[in-house]
Amino acid sequence: MATFFGEVLSVYSRAVEEDDDDLDDENEDEQIHREIEEKREVHIAWCPEVAQSLEDSGSNKLQCSDLIIAVGTNAAGFLSAYVLNTESWDAVGHVSLWNERSRGSSRQSIALLPGEPACLFYRHRDNPAVLVCQSTCYIAEDQLFQWTEKVFGCLQKRGLSVMVLSDSPVAEYKTPDYLYGSAVPFLRSLKSSASESQALCPALEQPNILTGLPAAVLSHCQVHQIPAVLYQCYTDVISPDSITMETYKPALLCLSKLVKLEPCLSADVLRKFAIITEAQSNLYT
Amino acid sequence: MAARYDRAITVFSPDGHLFQVEYAQEAVKKGSTAVGIRGKDIVVLGVEKKSVAKLQEERTVRKICTLDDHVCMAFAGLTADARIVVNRARVECQSHRLTVEDPVTVEYITRHIATLKQRYTQSNGRRPFGISALIVGFDCDGTPRLYQTDPSGTYHAWKANAIGRSAKTVREFLEKNYTDEAIATNNESIKLAIKALLEVVQSGGKNIELAVIRRNQPLKLLESKEIETLVTEIEKEKEDEAEKKKQKKST
Repeated sequence: MATFFGEVLSVYSRAVEEDDDDLDDENEDEQIHREIEEKREVHIAWCPEVAQSLEDSGSNKLQCSDLIIAVGTNAAGFLSAYVLNTESWDAVGHVSLWNERSRGSSRQSIALLPGEPACLFYRHRDNPAVLVCQSTCYIAEDQLFQWTEKVFGCLQKRGLSVMVLSDSPVAEYKTPDYLYGSAVPFLRSLKSSASESQALCPALEQPNILTGLPAAVLSHCQVHQIPAVLYQCYTDVISPDSITMETYKPALLCLSKLVKLEPCLSADVLRKFAIITEAQSNLYT
Repeated sequence: MAARYDRAITVFSPDGHLFQVEYAQEAVKKGSTAVGIRGKDIVVLGVEKKSVAKLQEERTVRKICTLDDHVCMAFAGLTADARIVVNRARVECQSHRLTVEDPVTVEYITRHIATLKQRYTQSNGRRPFGISALIVGFDCDGTPRLYQTDPSGTYHAWKANAIGRSAKTVREFLEKNYTDEAIATNNESIKLAIKALLEVVQSGGKNIELAVIRRNQPLKLLESKEIETLVTEIEKEKEDEAEKKKQKKST
């Protein structure tokens, strides 16, 4: 086609499909998509013993009777203070992933610095069918499905029962009544239909919903008919706080049936896990 | 529903709430407890001492501030906001002395602080002050006064009141125990303030700070030894009462 200025443009006819140029664009797009997918992939790294047991078992699955997942700093702190404080727990694996809020760590070792957001697995020495997972890093929506598939893909479904402890800000709790200060923090529970256990606190009322990792895990358990119970703690403190951690105590009743727990917990241990910036917070007097 | 009407201070919700002001009152609840008692010849302010970091200078962490020789206040809520309010009040006290040649009445300075707070709930681009204050003092005619202000800019006179974290518990205690006998003497009024704080303070007298103004005398901060003595007295009185009750039951 000759334009007004005399230059000649090659015009594409819409009657004919021009495949060549489209393919190039597509290739580039595809490549970018692939790179992003690879970057956002969720990787589970198990310690050598567990990796060996996975290989030895024919179906590449671990025997697990109880999986306890703690999502959030207070839930993780509660487990660290009340359950993982004895010497009988081994760190057996961690999940590494990358997203905009969790830059992930390039370190391959399992021992991550305390306080750093991470997703770690622990197994009880005397009862290796009990697994504890502490997740304090942010997992993006597109990675949640991968996380649950990969983690549950490593565990035997039969005989498995799941407990999830999760933190949530009380500002997200919707209720028609006014919440007096003394009621917070408090627990609410949600169960999968396969779960027959008695919940130790009132059920989560409508229209409140769960989001994030707890929701993904509970949905997976519901779909695969795994008995699961979730305890959501609504708190008004942003940072790890000993009073919020103590709110999870009713869950100890179930946990004590599985593993031997420290009978009495010294306040010092709790304080260690509660935020150290308490004394430095001069915001309120 | 609150979500659409709680971002701007100057917007009413359809049911008449100013959510930012109400949220500011929640900020007050994050501060430690302060209690004020108006006696016959004394006014008492007691506060729960905040735990201070190891390297922090304790005397710079104060909840009780003098506004003038005869007026002082305790606050609960955002520390920085309190500093601004206290500074403005102090300036106003001196300005009043210079212009009118009289010290401020407690009601005047409370009204000034409350008006300042109210102005910040009605102008654009500012947020309310996140503090409640208990203002105590004596007027020129020797009358003791106790006023309380809150982030909305309201102020009222009280016989006894509490603000901060466990204010509700302390106020209930005061409603039961504030009687004419309880404030008969200065010492009794001070003990009432300590008793009220002991209801909510952990680990007793160590975490209590007390300030008193007696008629025609400046503010006095009680030393920790004096507070410990009073706490021991109170505990002994409690034990004696418990013993009496036991004896009554057995007879």
